[in-house]
Amino acid sequence: MEKQGKILQDNPFKVPENYFDEISRKIVSATSGFSSEVKKVSLYRKLRPYMAIAASLALLVIIGYAIIQFSNSDKQIASLSDINLEAFTEIWINDIDIIKLEEDAASLVLFEEGSGVDKKEIIDYLLLESIDFNDIYEQLLY
Amino acid sequence: MSGKKLDSDIFELLETDINKGFSLIVEQYSTKLYWHIRRLVILHEDADDALQNTFLNAWRNIGKFRNESSLYTWLYAIATNEALTLINKRARNSEVSLDDLESIFANSREGSTWFDGNEAQVKLQNAILQLPEKQRIVFNFKYYEDLTYEDMSKILKTSVGALKASYHHAVKKIENIITKT
Repeated sequence: MEKQGKILQDNPFKVPENYFDEISRKIVSATSGFSSEVKKVSLYRKLRPYMAIAASLALLVIIGYAIIQFSNSDKQIASLSDINLEAFTEIWINDIDIIKLEEDAASLVLFEEGSGVDKKEIIDYLLLESIDFNDIYEQLLY
Repeated sequence: MSGKKLDSDIFELLETDINKGFSLIVEQYSTKLYWHIRRLVILHEDADDALQNTFLNAWRNIGKFRNESSLYTWLYAIATNEALTLINKRARNSEVSLDDLESIFANSREGSTWFDGNEAQVKLQNAILQLPEKQRIVFNFKYYEDLTYEDMSKILKTSVGALKASYHHAVKKIENIITKT
């Protein structure tokens, strides 16, 4: 496509003379008749995201404290710097159902290892191409 | 002026004088948005309508724009939707298929008044019109406006990988169509 040269990128579409000057004036005068929704942002709205972060951190601290308190009643928890791998495995890993995790992840791992392409990218591409998903299902079934 | 600097100047102006701020937006973006729309809808009158609707829409929603994306990608997304709405409306109201320049011109008041292309440009435009809508948008963005895939991804809410694949296939399709005609 690049070999076709500049001729194909010259613009075959034309506009009336002074169109862009006039359209700017037309748009501005048209929009001045409509209300916009620019409003002053209240202090509460400005601070809301920071309050949300502070609340989340507070919640994490409380949960972390509760977990530590709960765990201390059953197990001896050393400080992170003192814990060794064997102790870590005994205390934490055995609480996780490894087999269930592997089963859940298996299909995802196989898909990504096999294709090297992200699932979302494939779906996006199919949508861009306006491909009918029913056609794909039919191909897979027969 | 860099995009980010321009955007921040515009936002400052919108806070103090919304009309002046919006005028600056129109002044900075109307030409680019017009050509983006025009290449999709082909006809000048349709592009003119869609451009005005784009800015009306932007004016009504400027307060909701939260700066998560750049003003540029936000406006392009609105313009793209307006163009697609117009194309679909035109297709619904027409009894014939509008997939080449001749049928589009024949089905309009302006005809080919605002088109002055040579044979090669007619072939290219007809080939582009054969692409699915979204693929046309991707092709135009890359070929005519040289947008980055990252910017396209923000405008079209599609992954970069899919956009690259789509552009690559669009080029192949267009080359095939042109060599056969």
